[in-house]
Amino acid sequence: MIRRLYSPGLVIILAAAVSMPLTATAQVDAAAAEKIFKENDCHKCHHETKAKKGPSLKKISAKYKEKKLDEKEAIKHMTSGKKVKLDDGTEEDHKIIDTKDVNVQTSVAKWMLSH
Amino acid sequence: MTKRTMILAMSMLAFGSAMAADPATINWAKIPAKKIQLFYPGQSSYEWLRSDAHKGAAKETARGDSCTSCHDASDEEVLQGRKILKGGHPLEPTAIAGKKNGNVDLHVQAAYDKKNAYLRFQWKTQNPYAGTEHQYLRFDGKEWKVWGYPKLDKVVQEGKQPGIYEDRMSIMIDDGKVAGFAKQGCWLTCHDGQRDMPKQFTKEEVAANPLLTAIKKGDVRKYLPDSRTDPSDWKTGKSVEEIAKLKAEGKFVDLIQWRAHRSYPVGMADDGYVLEFRLADAGKDMFGGNADSKTHQPKFMWDEKKVGFKSIRADSQARKGDLFLVREQNAVPFDPNADWKEGDMIPDYIVSREDAKGSAADNNAIANWNAGMWTVVIVRPLGLTNADDKMLKEGGVYNVGFATHDDNITTRGHFVSYVKTLGIGARTKADIKAVKLP
Repeated sequence: MIRRLYSPGLVIILAAAVSMPLTATAQVDAAAAEKIFKENDCHKCHHETKAKKGPSLKKISAKYKEKKLDEKEAIKHMTSGKKVKLDDGTEEDHKIIDTKDVNVQTSVAKWMLSH
Repeated sequence: MTKRTMILAMSMLAFGSAMAADPATINWAKIPAKKIQLFYPGQSSYEWLRSDAHKGAAKETARGDSCTSCHDASDEEVLQGRKILKGGHPLEPTAIAGKKNGNVDLHVQAAYDKKNAYLRFQWKTQNPYAGTEHQYLRFDGKEWKVWGYPKLDKVVQEGKQPGIYEDRMSIMIDDGKVAGFAKQGCWLTCHDGQRDMPKQFTKEEVAANPLLTAIKKGDVRKYLPDSRTDPSDWKTGKSVEEIAKLKAEGKFVDLIQWRAHRSYPVGMADDGYVLEFRLADAGKDMFGGNADSKTHQPKFMWDEKKVGFKSIRADSQARKGDLFLVREQNAVPFDPNADWKEGDMIPDYIVSREDAKGSAADNNAIANWNAGMWTVVIVRPLGLTNADDKMLKEGGVYNVGFATHDDNITTRGHFVSYVKTLGIGARTKADIKAVKLP
């Protein structure tokens, strides 16, 4: 006998929440996005305003606006692990965000680019 | 009068009139408190921090960058501690039952006068009781064997022994002479190979190690990188002569530990230092082992006339209170011919203020546990000139690291701070500024 952990209604609600495109949620949950950003240690290299090992979120955001890039490009950056060039001329693999959930990735990317 | 209040009163008597200020009557409400966040570091050793596992930071750590140059979020310690303790993290291979949070708020206050620095610490303990109990010697019908071990030990993890270990409050102090301490603090002293760390030493390795055999040590504990030819390999100890030279140059950190079982009952905190090992200062500590090295029997037992029993048992009501064996207060020499029964227990450590001597006996302390919180005041004399002490003086700024151990645990099972600065009447900036007492 299979133990029922969730009611069918709850399963439908959860499934809908997971599959709901972010655009439908209208607003990025900044606090939740920042939490994911920090839990992935992104803040170790990217400060909101000052340059650390990586550029600040403000600088990234400005660059994306200038080049007319959007969160899809940012997601590519945070999920591909491609080499990044550092100020000292060396290269390093960019850390890959620890979630495959596109909604979460989009939320983090949008929050980053909102700076 | 409760036992704990009595200890406080007795401690105050022990401080005597030689002290300029009575730490129990300092108006702490007038002294600013600094909240320092401590977090659970797991096995984040010197070597791990310099490995690729420390993502994006190995090179930076190796070149000496400070931990907080990257870890600078306002809730950094909460974040890191939670991640390490949540389960499945590579830095914590052992699921530690009962560990609730990955961080602790430590409230620190500091004051000083002509004679002493007074450092007051407050933190909420993991357990709803004061961890003043420490391991026992238990009679199994034939022999006396250790009963109770720290929670990370295999015998406790396997449920063969209860988790018993005293609470502690520790401070590391550097006066600027230890390379890297101002940037990376306590993490300089924590290495692979040590107890409860990755690649833990074997007895054979220790027995074959020239430095550890020369200093008569049977395991591997904290050390500073300068004491090894390869700082990432505990086996590469420098010669005793080279280490003596480093010590003479002041290239060691002071380590003061207030212990809820082994120093609290006699109103003291221990005094040690870290260089090639975690060592006690010269002289004699306020505690010592109670097991006879030859017979393995206890050396002392409780004075039945004073405390009502000569030993306790695992289910004794007395275990709900403080159970200290203090040589000059409630102990008598062990009687091997008493009618010992299986399950009788006597503390594995004997404590004595009278026996504490020399540089190891420099620090006093008073403490109180109330409503889930320890309040500990450590009294450190200013101007110490011992070869194994960091001299605190007016005008000085020191790099300090703090740690608390509670929840019946030792070694890596603590909460630690990133390095901070303590100023004693200094004009320059410091995280914690000691207030001059009138």
